[in-house]
Amino acid sequence: MKVFVFDYARCNGCRNCQIVCKDEHCGNEWPGYARSQPDSGQFWVRVTEKVRGSVPKVVVSYTLNMCRHCDDAPCAGICPAYAFKRRDDGLLLLDPDACNGCMLCAEACPYGAIFQNKDLSIAQKCTGCAHLLDDGWKEPRCADACPHGSLRCLDDQEARIRYPQDYEASVVKAKEHLILLNAPQPFVAGTVVDLVADEVLIGARVTLENKLDGSLQVQDTDDFGDFWFKQAEAADYQLYIEAEGYLNRSMGISTTEKDCNLGIIEMSSARFFDAEEDVTMEAALDIEAPRERKEGQSLAEGNDYYVFKNT
Amino acid sequence: MHEKKTTVKVAIESATEPVAKVAIESAIESVAKPAAMPANKAATEPVAKVAIEAATEAATGAAIESVAKPAAMPAPEAATKAATKAANKPAPKTATKTVIKGLGFCSAGVGSCVCSIDVDEEQDRIIRIRPFHFDQEYPLEQLNPWKLSARGVDLDCGTRTYSSPLSLCYKNRVYSKNRIPYPMRRADWDPEGERNPQNRGISPFVRISWDEALDLVAKELVRVKETYGPEAVLAQADGHGETKVVHGTHGCQTRLLSLLGGYTLQSRQPDSWEGWYWGAKHIWGMDPFGQQNYQVNVIKDVAENGDAVLFWGCDPETTPWGWSGQMASRVCYWFNDLGIKCIHIAPDANYTNVIHADKWIPVLPNTDAALQLAIAYTWLVEGTYDKEYLKGHAVGFEHFRYYVLGGEDGVAKTPAWAQQKCGVPSFTIKALARYWARHAVSVAHCNGGSYIRSAFSHEPARLEVALLGMQGLGKPGANQFKFIDWSVFGLQDVNALVAQSEQPDLFPAYRGRENPIRPDIIPKTMVPQAILHPPIQWYGNIAAGLPREDQFSGPYVYPKPGKSPIHMIWTDSPCWETCWNGGFKMQEAFRHESIETIMAQHIWMENDCRFADIILPTNTKLENLDIGSDAESGQWNTVYYERQAISPLYESVSDMEVVAMVAKRIESFGGEYQGIYEKYTEGKDVEDFIRLGFENTGAAKAMGFDDFKTKGYYPFPAAEGWQDLPVGLSRFYESPDAFPLKTPSGRLEYYSTSLAYYFPDDTERGPVPKWVEESAEHKERLSCARAREYPFLIVSNHPRWRIHANHDDALWLREIDGCKIAGPDGYWYEPVWVNPFDAGVLGLKDGDIVRIFNERGSVLGGVMVTERIMRGVVYQDHGARVDTMSAGTGGLDRGGANNLIAPNDVTSRYSYGEVTSGFLVNVEKFDVQGLGFEGLEAQGMGYEAATGLVFHPAPQGAGSFGEARAADGASAIEGLVAFGGLAGLQEAAGAAKATGVPAVAEEGGTL
Repeated sequence: MKVFVFDYARCNGCRNCQIVCKDEHCGNEWPGYARSQPDSGQFWVRVTEKVRGSVPKVVVSYTLNMCRHCDDAPCAGICPAYAFKRRDDGLLLLDPDACNGCMLCAEACPYGAIFQNKDLSIAQKCTGCAHLLDDGWKEPRCADACPHGSLRCLDDQEARIRYPQDYEASVVKAKEHLILLNAPQPFVAGTVVDLVADEVLIGARVTLENKLDGSLQVQDTDDFGDFWFKQAEAADYQLYIEAEGYLNRSMGISTTEKDCNLGIIEMSSARFFDAEEDVTMEAALDIEAPRERKEGQSLAEGNDYYVFKNT
Repeated sequence: MHEKKTTVKVAIESATEPVAKVAIESAIESVAKPAAMPANKAATEPVAKVAIEAATEAATGAAIESVAKPAAMPAPEAATKAATKAANKPAPKTATKTVIKGLGFCSAGVGSCVCSIDVDEEQDRIIRIRPFHFDQEYPLEQLNPWKLSARGVDLDCGTRTYSSPLSLCYKNRVYSKNRIPYPMRRADWDPEGERNPQNRGISPFVRISWDEALDLVAKELVRVKETYGPEAVLAQADGHGETKVVHGTHGCQTRLLSLLGGYTLQSRQPDSWEGWYWGAKHIWGMDPFGQQNYQVNVIKDVAENGDAVLFWGCDPETTPWGWSGQMASRVCYWFNDLGIKCIHIAPDANYTNVIHADKWIPVLPNTDAALQLAIAYTWLVEGTYDKEYLKGHAVGFEHFRYYVLGGEDGVAKTPAWAQQKCGVPSFTIKALARYWARHAVSVAHCNGGSYIRSAFSHEPARLEVALLGMQGLGKPGANQFKFIDWSVFGLQDVNALVAQSEQPDLFPAYRGRENPIRPDIIPKTMVPQAILHPPIQWYGNIAAGLPREDQFSGPYVYPKPGKSPIHMIWTDSPCWETCWNGGFKMQEAFRHESIETIMAQHIWMENDCRFADIILPTNTKLENLDIGSDAESGQWNTVYYERQAISPLYESVSDMEVVAMVAKRIESFGGEYQGIYEKYTEGKDVEDFIRLGFENTGAAKAMGFDDFKTKGYYPFPAAEGWQDLPVGLSRFYESPDAFPLKTPSGRLEYYSTSLAYYFPDDTERGPVPKWVEESAEHKERLSCARAREYPFLIVSNHPRWRIHANHDDALWLREIDGCKIAGPDGYWYEPVWVNPFDAGVLGLKDGDIVRIFNERGSVLGGVMVTERIMRGVVYQDHGARVDTMSAGTGGLDRGGANNLIAPNDVTSRYSYGEVTSGFLVNVEKFDVQGLGFEGLEAQGMGYEAATGLVFHPAPQGAGSFGEARAADGASAIEGLVAFGGLAGLQEAAGAAKATGVPAVAEEGGTL
């Protein structure tokens, strides 16, 4: 049995899978497996993208959609022509010769993975490149062309051993032959700054409290004053920021609708403007004009160029 | 089908006697082959239907077939056919032949992106294009497979190429509806009478025979040469595109023009790395590139010793795709796995940033110099730079220090100062400076973008090196490296990944552009100026790849005293408008009355082709026999025998063959032209050149030529002991005396004595790198008065779904999310990214069509409201196909080719790079209703959303181009007979004439 595995964390959105699927099936007939797909318009494998967050905390998540070759396939169940055929390797084929073009299957498919070929009056979908597997290929075109192993087509046994939990959830329970790994979660991010001092705050303690279950995630801001909880679940949160010498801040936020970049979060000094040292970084250096040089003159002579009066 | 084969056999026999000895000739002959089957049909129609068509044809077109087949079977292909069958492993049922092709697009003979192409020989069509498996003929152990390990995570070389979508979609390109099927002449261009230069880009084309085309070309070349002198011909012979070797791609014509006594070369300056060439060389040498040349084991070093990598205007998930595939992308994932901090600095969240970055610092386009100066300032004030290092490794640092601290102009380059210029908060600038000072930081680049292609781009380039120097350039984890160009100029040390045992050099086989150092040149960036407002003056021979000192040679002038200005253009890279600086001005130059003839040879009907007077159809490398190499993929360097995959489509021939045909025709003029064909071909055929190329590589030591052809390729093992080669600039770091830089002092030159000496009056590129606000030529800052009218800066990177101007017609790319934006008129527009804040101010929403404009003109785009671009900046990829509604300065382009509105002036006073990003524009909503397609249709073109611009060939016999000769398909054969002397074809030609050769698709249809 074949199981597709898609890893969100390794998809760079190159669309090789989408393109080689077309390369294989547009303009090529594979008798007994599939008729030729129109040049454009169908996507037996498709990668779509979603831009998340806001400047300067922006990520793109790529999502793959394809036929799951479901065990209890609603498309097959509704087909009045009995055109769906299950292979021994688990791939579900739609026999173009048996199909009457009624398109009930496309309506039944919860993933929009079945397409109408108007010219041929048939429905069409992913074959798992069964014609190639039968010809000795180890994997279908989409997996063969994926440069990062983001999309793979594994034998049942390997999938079960490598990803036991996901296998249990997707293949055993949901009865789909597609395992999705590392599905992205909403993020919470921000930059903690003392605007009076014109400095980011490094090492500020940021605590993200899930309002529903009280669970906590904790980060200290990095060298840029940034915190970035990349896998916060969609939930309502209370966010706390604490830094030595500053007033604490707390705010209610939500990731239920979208990612949450809080942008610049200003922290106020607890010392209340007690004469900080000069924060504008005015040069306290004594500057002296170096003498002009021309080609041929050595600039390496002497160390005087590097001697600064205050350093 | 049986009958068909029989006739072919008979025909071959009858043609035995005259079968060309010279393979070039026989390849040329393939133009005689009528397009037996419309290519797009072949690609898309169900097998059954195709078979029926073929059968019908066999019944009705036996005579045609007998003409076509012998000619369509070039000798080398015939010779290798048997070998092919024997060579490949048992062919899968799903293909009958597999050929190897490099589908990288650097051109200039530097191959890459090797792929396997499965072919259906019977139907003569491509079935599929797939990644190449290096181990299919050689055991892995023999290849010394490499593996990098750091912090418990591995990166290995893999066994198949990590192809990019730009290679894998290539069937779209081969069978594009935009292919040029046959030779054409502009209808109102009459070499005997009125040439109507003002109608270039407007008036229609008529189909002509190859015979007539060659006549026109040969006569014009000879006339121009004899009337004005050979320098009156401008050769546009450079750029990117398919990478061919024997067939050249670019510059085949230069070899013929040389034989004719010379020509003027459009000299291509470094494009996509302008600032490095014009600036960085003056601080650290690094000829010929300007970027760190010594990159050996730098990626390994970063992995082992680095804390962070600054991706400064750098997008490994885009730019390397067409050059080297996706190994660079794998390296980025590896860095993520290792926990190396990936910091991106650019106005846009590019494709690498949005999946790999730990930190994005948005900076306004072309203001990186301010950010860099403020970093230097912070280090100077806080004393957090490597003073000891500078003592031994640098000269003139005190000049730099003096400037940064404000001694020279009274302006201290503080973070607060920089914040006003570059839009990065001063607290972030300080944080970055402090982080950098405390960590091992390397800087990574690809090519392009506003960092390095804007006005004064030499300054950020020099300043980056200045900063690297202040932190001990060359120490562990602190180098500069590139994710692309891992074999550029055939240099051994530019591969930042793993050293290879050989950089295969196919130069003896290369038939493209000859030596770029020519006595007569026009810098490519100055061509419009040269044509419209001569004379012009400049310094340096310009050609990319020359040493630093070349920038001081000159001044040179055009036209040279006593020599003629140009009157004819012969281009094989017709994309100036959409790839260079200020294309609307170039359109005016194309129409200038001094230009009597423009001849373009190209595969697709696009861009500058539409301004040509004569158009000759060339073909893709899948239609040629050639040799190729791959030294860019970062896996194994490889040399391979590139069998012909399919017969040439329509009447096309290769670029090299076009020139050979012209040579043959010129030869017929006799006299001084006697023997020019032989001189051009050097008496060799394609196979001879392939053999020469092969013998120039180490593969020849490992195997014989026949064995090479049988196996199809030879992969060079990784270099023995590659792990132990010294890292990047570590040797300079350790001993600057023993390993000096190629600067006059051998050190980092914070003050360039050469610039001070040669260009004492240069205020834009002075001896010390600086912030340049504006110049007489360039007022492209938000602080300039122009910004009141044009308040946005545009960023234009190398495109994600194209390689410069290539691939804009690939429908499987066009239908990808975000590749194009469908307008209300059904036209798919080039996307423009607008920040939500700006979109709110401008009243724009997703899918709106806008005009991006300045005084130079307007281009259209489809709005994507996105957080991937900072406020005050709009983003649009470069290289969209030109679809000009009105040409010339102030014109309007529908395609979104924003190079049209880029500044015409060069980088700075003595730096001749292009300025194609980081310039001022305004954006406003645009009503597209009523734009129509009249201009396209007038030129025999049309628009289909899936492909974009398409070319509609003349229906057979209908003469929709106005001239009956369009239907005279047999004339091509006559022409060949006339110059090729193929007696055996005489009779066949007669037969073809009698039946009428179905050279084009069914009536009224598209190809």
